[in-house]
Amino acid sequence: MAIVAKTSRFGKYGRPTLAWVVGLFFFFPIFWMVLTSFKTDADAVKPEHLIFFKPTFDNYINMTENYDYWRFAKNSVITAVMATVFTLFVGIPCAYAMAFNPSRATKDVLMWMLSTKMLPAAAVLYPMTFITKSAGLFDTHFLIILVLSLINMPIVIWMLFTYFKEIPKDIIEAGQMDGANTWGEIKEILIPLAWGGIASTALLCFIFCWNEAYWTVRLTTTDAATLSKLIEGNRAPEGLFFGRLSAVSAAAVGPIVVLGWFCQKQLVQGLTFGAVK
Amino acid sequence: MSDRKLPRLLQTPAVLLLLVWMLIPLGMTLYFSFIRYVLNSLRRPEWTTPSFSNWRGFGNYEFVLKSKDFLFAIQNSLFIVCSILFLTVILGVLIAVLINKSFPGQGIVRVLLISPFFVMPAVNAVLWINMILDPVLGLQGIAVGGINDMITGLKDAPLVGWFFSMWPELHPISFRATQTSAYAVIIMVTWQWTPFAVLIFMTSLQSEDQQQKEAAVLDGANTWSQFRFLTLPHLARPIAIVVMIQAIFHLSLYAEIEIVSRGNGNKNLPYLIGEFANNNIGAASATGIFAVILANIVAIFLLRMIGKTLME
Repeated sequence: MAIVAKTSRFGKYGRPTLAWVVGLFFFFPIFWMVLTSFKTDADAVKPEHLIFFKPTFDNYINMTENYDYWRFAKNSVITAVMATVFTLFVGIPCAYAMAFNPSRATKDVLMWMLSTKMLPAAAVLYPMTFITKSAGLFDTHFLIILVLSLINMPIVIWMLFTYFKEIPKDIIEAGQMDGANTWGEIKEILIPLAWGGIASTALLCFIFCWNEAYWTVRLTTTDAATLSKLIEGNRAPEGLFFGRLSAVSAAAVGPIVVLGWFCQKQLVQGLTFGAVK
Repeated sequence: MSDRKLPRLLQTPAVLLLLVWMLIPLGMTLYFSFIRYVLNSLRRPEWTTPSFSNWRGFGNYEFVLKSKDFLFAIQNSLFIVCSILFLTVILGVLIAVLINKSFPGQGIVRVLLISPFFVMPAVNAVLWINMILDPVLGLQGIAVGGINDMITGLKDAPLVGWFFSMWPELHPISFRATQTSAYAVIIMVTWQWTPFAVLIFMTSLQSEDQQQKEAAVLDGANTWSQFRFLTLPHLARPIAIVVMIQAIFHLSLYAEIEIVSRGNGNKNLPYLIGEFANNNIGAASATGIFAVILANIVAIFLLRMIGKTLME
């Protein structure tokens, strides 16, 4: 085994060390945010309390009083969950049809769906505001759910399509022989078989909905405002409130970062549309 | 099979929804870009309602092209996007190659590394510009202050004091200033998107032909030439995809620019659209059409690449 024998000293000690340094470096800002969230606002800006300080939960307790955190969090959860459910509800039948009954146009339809994702949001912001205000939908949960669904639908359909394509057609056809109708096929055969793929697609869709900041900030004021609106509203250079700001930020991104750890692999497939395997 | 039609019909809701979502706002933007349309005008109140009688032809486009910020916004968009692409691809390849071989704690390092990608853009910007880059209260300010204090202390030291007294006092950089706000955006977005590049390159590296590599080693190829002639060509396609996906995302950066400096010295096309849209909807719409054209140029290349592998 000449190859193993050639492993250099770098490979044995240097590589792991360097890799850990890089990993910790990238994670550091998140760690710092979480650490700062346990400092009082006064301690947060004092060099002598950089690392050693008396931890406090006050920021998290005050968060609800000063920032009305729970209302924004509730809106984020409602809109992201509902949008994910709705996207899957529309996306699963669509991806099913494309994967098992493809027509000559399927490829073009998929490409076109993807191209809707590339439309710069800013270019259509004013018309969207105009339409939603005149339809009385501005700042409603319904609107945000709809918008979140639509911006994520292309990616969701793509991901589902790549998963469904892996399922042998025979299994689906066997179901047809047994007399299952289309809905039965989807419910009884497809969903159980592709459960893992559907779950990770849903997770990724949820993360994207949660992090969306362009439309949710611009199409809401109070009633349907999500956590991105809360953060963007508190972006002023409030040096004296680093502790509080960190607590709000950590509470806004914490759950999502943890969820994200579980769907790294799907992320690759989802964001490269199956082009990198 | 008789029920072939029903499955096809299942695509309709998704297709219709996306069609409406795309065509109506885009159609309205196109329409607004050809008329005079402002939100407030005391002198010409008839311009405040969209109507064909306010037709302006290509007047809005001319106005936008002549405005002083337009060229700057395009240049700045390209500067920000290209810098981020350059940094994320280089860092991404290096880090992916670094952590691709197994070592103790590889899984944990991967998790640490990917985390920034899931941070909300608004939080990313608030976190970096306040707590890290702030010239007084942020870590940058604290670090620079600490170094200055240390040097001042050493100036009185015996024997070496003269050496340190010749050192200049360091000044922290204010990243909210006109000249530097673009760099702040580049730093924070690079931090967020390098993990994405790493993840994609790592996925691709795992499918690299190991036998080929072993053969190369037996032929006496050193690490550099393995990287240069085997790994890098293997990564060419993922690199192209990372570049294009990021280009599409970063051409529409907004939250970061808004939070760092409210566009002071650092505008891109979406930001310029937002500024026009405070009053001049016609000009904002014309700028929007320019942004659509720019995004489409990138999108065509991306779609071609993805299309090739689609039906495999």
